[in-house]
Amino acid sequence: FFTPGMADVQQAQIPQGQFQQPAYGQQPAYPQEKGVDQMTNQFQNMQMGYRAGATYGDQKQLHSIQTVNLIGMQPDVRGLDSPPPAALLAPNAAVTQSPHIQPDPSYQRCTLAAMPTTQSLLNKSKLPLALVLAPYRSVREVDDDMPVPVVEDSVIARCRRCRAYINPFVTFIEGGNRWKCCMCGLSNEVPQLFDWDQRENKPADRWGRKELNHAVVEYIAPTEYMVRPPQPPVYAFVIDVSQSAVQSGMVATAARTILENLDNLPNADKRTKIAIIAVSTSLHFMSLPPGSTEASMLVVSDLTDVFLPKPVDLLVNLTESRPAIETLLGRLSDMFQEPQVGNALGSALQAAHQLIGKIGGKIIALTSCLPSLGEGALKARDDPKLLGTSKESSLLNAASSWYKTFAIECSKQQVAVDMFLFSASYTDVATLSCLPRYTAGQTYLYPGFNASRSEDAIKFATEFGRVLSMPIGLEAVIRVRATRGIRLAAFHGNFFIRSTDLLALPVVPMDQNYVIELQLEDDVKATTVVIQTAVLHTTCFGERRIRVITQAMPTTDSIAEMYGSADQIAIASYLVSKSVEKSMTSSLDDARNLIINKLSDMLTVFKNQVTSSAGASAQLAVPDNLKLLPLLMCGLVKHVGLREGVSIPPDLRSYAQALLTTLPCQSLIPYIHPIFYSLHNMSPDAGTVGPDGHMVLPPALNLTSERLERHGLFFIEDGQNMFLWVGHEAVPRLIQDVFDLPSYAELTGGKYTLPVLDNPFNQRVNNIVAKTRELRRGVYRQHLYVVKSDAEPALRSWALSCLIEDRMDKMGSYAQFLTQVKNKVSRV
Amino acid sequence: MSTNNFEDVEDRDGIRLSWNAWPSSRIEATRTVVPISALYTPLKEREDLPPVLYEPVTCKASCKAILNPFCQIDVRGKLWICPFCLQRNPFPPHYKDITTTNLPAELLPKYTTIEYTLSRPAQIPPIFLYVVDTCVDEDELKALRETLVVSLSLLPPTALVGLITFGTMTMVHELAYSDCPKSYVFRGSKEYQPKQIADMLGLNPSNRMQAVRPGQPMPAPAASRFLMPAQACEFQLTSILEGLQRDPWPVEQDKRPLRCTGVAMGVAVSLLETTFPNTGARIMLFSGGPPTDGPGLVVGPELREPIRSHHDIDRDSVKHFKRATKYFEGLSKRASANGHAIDIYAGCLDQVGLLEMKSLTNATNGSMVISDSFMTAIFKQTFLRSLGKDDDGHLKMGFNGTFEVLTTKELKISGVIGHVISANKKTPSVGETEIGIGQTSAWKVCSLTPKSSLATYFEVVTPAGQPLQPNQTGLIQFVTHYQHSSGQFRLRVTTIARTFHEGGHPAIAASFDQEAAAVLMARIAVFKAEIDDSPDVLRWLDRMLIRLCQKFAEYRKEDPTSFQLSPNFSIYPQFMFHLRRSQFLQVFNNSPDETAFYRHVLNDADVNNSLIMIQPTLMSYTFDVEPHPVLLDSVSIRPDVILLLDTFFHILIFHGETIAQWRKANYQDQEGYENFKELLESPITDAQDLLEDRSPIPRYVVCDQGGSQARFLLSKLNPSTTHMSGGYGGGGNGGQAIFTDDVSLQVFMEHLKRLAVGASTS
Ligand SMILES: [Zn+2]
Ligand SMILES: [Zn+2]
Repeated sequence: FFTPGMADVQQAQIPQGQFQQPAYGQQPAYPQEKGVDQMTNQFQNMQMGYRAGATYGDQKQLHSIQTVNLIGMQPDVRGLDSPPPAALLAPNAAVTQSPHIQPDPSYQRCTLAAMPTTQSLLNKSKLPLALVLAPYRSVREVDDDMPVPVVEDSVIARCRRCRAYINPFVTFIEGGNRWKCCMCGLSNEVPQLFDWDQRENKPADRWGRKELNHAVVEYIAPTEYMVRPPQPPVYAFVIDVSQSAVQSGMVATAARTILENLDNLPNADKRTKIAIIAVSTSLHFMSLPPGSTEASMLVVSDLTDVFLPKPVDLLVNLTESRPAIETLLGRLSDMFQEPQVGNALGSALQAAHQLIGKIGGKIIALTSCLPSLGEGALKARDDPKLLGTSKESSLLNAASSWYKTFAIECSKQQVAVDMFLFSASYTDVATLSCLPRYTAGQTYLYPGFNASRSEDAIKFATEFGRVLSMPIGLEAVIRVRATRGIRLAAFHGNFFIRSTDLLALPVVPMDQNYVIELQLEDDVKATTVVIQTAVLHTTCFGERRIRVITQAMPTTDSIAEMYGSADQIAIASYLVSKSVEKSMTSSLDDARNLIINKLSDMLTVFKNQVTSSAGASAQLAVPDNLKLLPLLMCGLVKHVGLREGVSIPPDLRSYAQALLTTLPCQSLIPYIHPIFYSLHNMSPDAGTVGPDGHMVLPPALNLTSERLERHGLFFIEDGQNMFLWVGHEAVPRLIQDVFDLPSYAELTGGKYTLPVLDNPFNQRVNNIVAKTRELRRGVYRQHLYVVKSDAEPALRSWALSCLIEDRMDKMGSYAQFLTQVKNKVSRV
Repeated sequence: MSTNNFEDVEDRDGIRLSWNAWPSSRIEATRTVVPISALYTPLKEREDLPPVLYEPVTCKASCKAILNPFCQIDVRGKLWICPFCLQRNPFPPHYKDITTTNLPAELLPKYTTIEYTLSRPAQIPPIFLYVVDTCVDEDELKALRETLVVSLSLLPPTALVGLITFGTMTMVHELAYSDCPKSYVFRGSKEYQPKQIADMLGLNPSNRMQAVRPGQPMPAPAASRFLMPAQACEFQLTSILEGLQRDPWPVEQDKRPLRCTGVAMGVAVSLLETTFPNTGARIMLFSGGPPTDGPGLVVGPELREPIRSHHDIDRDSVKHFKRATKYFEGLSKRASANGHAIDIYAGCLDQVGLLEMKSLTNATNGSMVISDSFMTAIFKQTFLRSLGKDDDGHLKMGFNGTFEVLTTKELKISGVIGHVISANKKTPSVGETEIGIGQTSAWKVCSLTPKSSLATYFEVVTPAGQPLQPNQTGLIQFVTHYQHSSGQFRLRVTTIARTFHEGGHPAIAASFDQEAAAVLMARIAVFKAEIDDSPDVLRWLDRMLIRLCQKFAEYRKEDPTSFQLSPNFSIYPQFMFHLRRSQFLQVFNNSPDETAFYRHVLNDADVNNSLIMIQPTLMSYTFDVEPHPVLLDSVSIRPDVILLLDTFFHILIFHGETIAQWRKANYQDQEGYENFKELLESPITDAQDLLEDRSPIPRYVVCDQGGSQARFLLSKLNPSTTHMSGGYGGGGNGGQAIFTDDVSLQVFMEHLKRLAVGASTS
C-alpha cells in the first residue's frame, strides 16, 4: 500500500530505486524560521507585522538594514509571503491607538514605507514611488478578512480645502471643536453630529468613531454625493451566436450559466435589469415582456447605423421578466442553428450601449470569433513574421481606434464592458481588451473553448458565474489625495482618467489592481505623510457609498531608510505595469531592458550609497527586504507577457498583459512566480487540515527543474493554470492512487479532472488542488493539466516555462539573470 | 346596333366599343371626335365559357396572333391564314382531324372569346404579403387583427403568406421560426437600398451563409422564412396577429405617431422582388394614417403641420408631396415590373397619403379602399370580399397578367388607360398617336378581378392613296395571359371584327355606343386631369362635346332651336354635364386622398359602374306608385317621397320632409300604417341589393330632408332650382333650391346647342 510522504514508514515495503526520499528540510539555502502553516494564512497577522519593527518612544525609528548577497544563493521563495516593511510612524501620529489605522496591504501598499522629502532625493535613490492598490478588494471568510467598517450616520467630516476625509492622522484642536487636516493643514470645524449617536439619540464617544480607528472605512453618502438616485445594477449580455459560438458550446454554456446564476446576480432590492443581445451577422434583440413566459426576437441587420428596435421590453427588470428570461435562456443555443459565419460585435456593443446608456451598468460580451462585420470590424493581423521583431509590439496595441473611442463613450455613460473571448483562432485580444481597459472591465480568454470538454465548460461556467454573482460598485470614481507636496504622476490599470486625477470606473469590479505613480512636486515638510484613496460608488443594493483608505508613513531624508522601507512586492507590481506599458509604447526588448535597468539602477544606488562599497564586486548586494525582487523580475522577464521568442501567439501575450496589469498582488506574484510543490513525498500532514483548522500545504520549492524527479509527482500553479507533472518512472501504484489508471503508459496528458478516489493520497492531492483554487482571490478557476514528463512536448515545455530559475530557450537562468544585473551594477 | 346589342356583346366578349362601325380613313376618324376605343373586361365572368384545356394555336413568331373564328381555314390543306399578318400557318399535328363540321372551339363563331388553360403550371402559388400599420388605436388594431385573421382562412391553402408590420419601425416577421416570435427590424427613418434590404433579410446568397456540411439538413431557401404556405403557417401567423401590439414608441402630445409606411412598403417590395420576381403576388397595405417618417413622408410628425389639401398642392406649397410621390413611384415601378400588385386599405378618418401612394395601386391594379376605420363594414367586407371565391373554390383574382392587343393593319393602338404599365412591346400594331399609356402593344396588369376593365384607344391608319374597300372588316385581338389562383396559367383571347365605312355613312353614327363613349372619354379626361389643370380638361371636354354635336346632331346653322340629337347620342351631353361636375374633375370639395381614390376606382370600372359614378342613379319611392327612376335633379326632391341615390361610392336614402316627420313620429310602428312601413322598407331592401356585389362597399347614408347628411344628395343633383333661379324648371310645385353657383343642365344644354349650331353667344 502506497502512501507518499509516509515513506519513512513505508520505505521497507517499496522496491528499491523507485523512490528516493529527498531531504528538503535540510537544504542549507532554505532558512526555515517560518512555519509552513504561515503559507496558508499569509496575511492573517499583517497588523502585527506592521507593528513589529516599531517601538514607541521619542526617537524616530528606522528600519534596520540587513544586506544580503544574492550571488550563489538559492532564493528563499517562501519570503514572498512576508509582510512589507512597516511604516515606522511616530507614536503620536494617530489620534487613536487602534491597531487598524494602517490598511492591510491587500488594499493599498506603497513601494516605500518611508516617504522621501524631496524629488531629488527620490531621483537619487532610483527607487520607484508608487501606490499599489485594490480598493474594492473582496472580503473573504477564507482569508479571515475583516468586513469594511461602515459609517452609517451620514456624518462625513471633510477638509474644506483639500476635501480629504477625516482619518486617524488628523489632529483635534481648540478643545476638540476643530480638526486640523493632516494633508493641507487647514483647520476645519468638527461637524455638529460628530459626537452624537443618532440611533440612540445620546452623546457618543468620538474616539470610538470608525473613521478615527480604521484605515479602511466606508461611508453611506448623503444625497449631495449623488448626481442622480442610485441606479440599479444593469447587465447587458452580448452573446455571439455565430456558427463557431454555437458549435463550441459557448452559447449553451453561457446561457446555462446565466440561467443558473439568475438568483446570484446582485438583486437585493429587485431593481436589477438585464438585456440580452445575440449577435452574428445581425443583431438579435430579445424582447422579454414582464409577466410573459415568452420572449420574442427582433433582428436588426443594419450594422452601420445601429438602433433599438423597440423602446420597451429589451432592458427588463430581472424579477418581473424572469419567466421570459428563463424561457429564452433555456433554448438560446437551439435558436441559432442556422450556420452564420461572421460577427458584428462592435455594432452589438453599440446597441447594448444605447440600451443601457441612460442608466449605466455592465455590458458582458461573449464572443467566439474576431468581429468581422459592422462597426469596429477587425481583420486577422497576426502575421507570424512579426513575432520576435520590434514590430511585434504593434500587435499588442489596438488595431483600430474605434474600441478606445467607444470605450470612452461607454465610460461617460457609466457603462463598463467585460469581454469573454473563446476563439479557436486569432481574436485580437489586444484590440478587444481596450474596452475593459478604459471602462474598468475585465478581459477573459478561453482559447479554443470547447464545451464538450467538461474542463472547459466548468472553468468558464465557474468564472462567468463568479463574475455574475460578484457584488459590484456602480458609477464609481476613485480619487487619491495626499499630503501637500505629493503629486499623482501616472496611472495604470483599467479605468478612464476623467480629469487629471479622477479615475472613472463605470463599474468597479472586485479585486482589480491599480498602480499610481507618485512624484514630489514640492519638498515635503510634514513628518508624517498621508495618502488617502476614496472610492465613491453606488452599491448594487442601491446605496451611495464612499470607501476611504487612509495610509500614513513617516518622511525621511535618508536613502538608506528608503531602501530599508522598500516593499519588493509593490515595486514588482509597479515594474510589471511599467514594463507592460513599455512593451506597447516601444518594444518588448525595451520592456525587458527597462526591468533589468531599473533593477540594476536600484542595486547600484544601494551598493554605492547604502553599503558604501563602490567598485567591482563578486557580490550582488540587496537589502533583505528586497532580496526576492530580482527573482520576481527574472520571472517577469520570462513571463509570457514579455518573454523573448517567436512563438507566442499575440492573443496569449495580450491576455497575459491584461492580467499582469489588473491582478491584485496576491494573484500577481504567483502569476510571475508560480508555486511549485513536490507531492509524491510530501509530509503526511500536507493536504490535510492542520491543528489550526487550515489546510496544510507542502513547502514551496524553488522554480527549477532540478527539483523534478523521474518517479515523482509535482504540482505547479500560477493562478491561471495548474500542472500535475508526472515523472515517467512514476510507480504504477502512484498512478493508480492518483489517476485510477494502471500505469504511466495509460495516462494521457492535457486538461484533466482528477478523479476523487477512496485513498488518502488521492484525497490529499485533490485537497491541495482545491485549496490552491480557493487561495486565489478573484474569479479565476485554474485549468488543471496533467503533464507527462516524456510526452506532449508543447505541454511539457509550457509547464517547464513556469520554472523560471532555469534556462529557457534564449532566456538565461536566474543565476545568469543575476550576473547580468551584477555586471551592470559593477560597471558604474 | 341597338343598346341591347351592345350589352349582348359585352356579355359575350366583355367589351364595349365607342364605335361599332369604323370610319375608313384617318381624317374621317378624327372627325368622329370620340376615338375608336374599347372598354374591355378581360376576366369577365362567363359561366358558359369553361376554359379549354389545351394550348392555343398561334401564328408565326413574328405575329403570334391566336387562331380565332375570323381566320380563314383550309381543312384539306390543314392550314389557316392569319387575318392579322396574312401568313399561312399549318395546323399543329393534333389538329389533323379537323373538318368543317368538326372544328375546335376557338374556330366556332360563338367563341370569339375563349380561355385556354396552359399546360405549364405556375411554379409558385399566389403570394399574399400583409403590411400592417400598428400606429392605430387599440380598438382599431383589434378590429384589424380580427379581420386579418379571418382573411387567412380565405386564402388558398398553398398560397404563400407573409407579414410585415410597421409603426416607428418596420418589422418583417419570420414565420418558419418555431422557437419564439422573430422579426427583422428596419429603421423607419432611413431609406434602405433594395440590396441592403435583401442582405439584411439574409435573402442574398452570400458568404455569410456557409456551405452546408454533409449530414446537415439543407436549409430551406431564405425566402421561406418570410413567406410560407398558408396551411403551414396559419397557426403561427394567427398567433402573431393576435399578439400584435400597438406601436410601442411613445407619441408626444403635439405629435403624430411616427409611421414609416415608406420603409415598410420598400421592404415589402424588395422582399418579393428578391425572392419571387415575375410571380403573381400581392402586397396588401393596411394603413391607419399618413406616413410621417422616413422616405415617403407625407406629413411631418408635428400636429401643427396640417396634411396637404388640393389648395396647397395647387399653390405648390407642399413640402413633401413631390419627394413622397417620387419615392412611391419608384416602388411601384419595381413592383409592377415584377408582376406584384399592391393594395391599399386605408382605415382612418383623415387622409393617409393616397395621393402620394396612388402609383402603388395604379401601376399594379391593386385595390384602393378608403374607410374611416378598420372597424367599419366598408373595410371588413370590401377586404374579405376581395378574397371571394368562384364555384370551384378559386379566388376571383388573376395575378401577374399581361394584356396584349393585336390589330389588323388599318388600325393602330394609341394606348391603354387603366391600372397597367407598359410592357414596352413594339409591334406593327402600335400607332403614333398616344392616348394613355402608349407606344406599346402589351401592358402588364399585375392583378385582375372579374370587373377590371381596361380602356384601349385606337386610330385608323390608311396608307395614302389606298382607300379601304367598302365593308372591309378590321380585327382586334385582345390576349390576356395571367396566373390563375388555381396555380395554372391562363390565356383569355377575345377577337372582334367590325366593318369600316366611308365617311358620313349612317352606319357609323348608328353604331355609336354613347354609354361606352362617355366612359371612355371620362377615362381620357381623368388621365388628362392627373397631368393638367382641371380648367383645361373641362375646356377640352366641352370642345369635344361641341364638335361631336356639330358632327352628329341635326340642326340648322345658327338656329339653336333646331338642334336635335338621335337617341343613341341624346344622353351623351348629359353624361358630359355630370362628368364635368363629378368628383373626378372637380377636386376641391374632396381631399387629395379622396380624389385619388375616386379616380382609381373609375379607372378600373366597367361601363355600367362607371356610368353610375359619372351620373348617379336616383330612385323615387312614394305611396301608390311603383318605385321608379327619377331625374337626377333637384325637382325630384319632394316632401312625400323617399329617394334612393346610388353614386357607386355612396348609397343614400333620403326621406322627404313629410316622410321624415312621420318616421320620427314612429308611424311605421303603428297599426294601420303598414303601407308606410312598407314604403320605408322598400328602398332599404333595394339598397341591400345594390350593396350585394359592389366593391368597394359604398358608404351607406340614411338622411332626412334638411339634415346635414343630405348634402351628399344635393351635391349630385342637377341644380335646376337654385337659390338664384327661383322656381325654374319645376315651377312652384316642388323641388328644393340648391345653394350653388353651378349651372344647371338646362343652361348647359342651351349653351351647347348655341355653340354646336354656330350661333353667336349672347
Ligand atoms: Zn486639507
Ligand atoms: Zn399572324
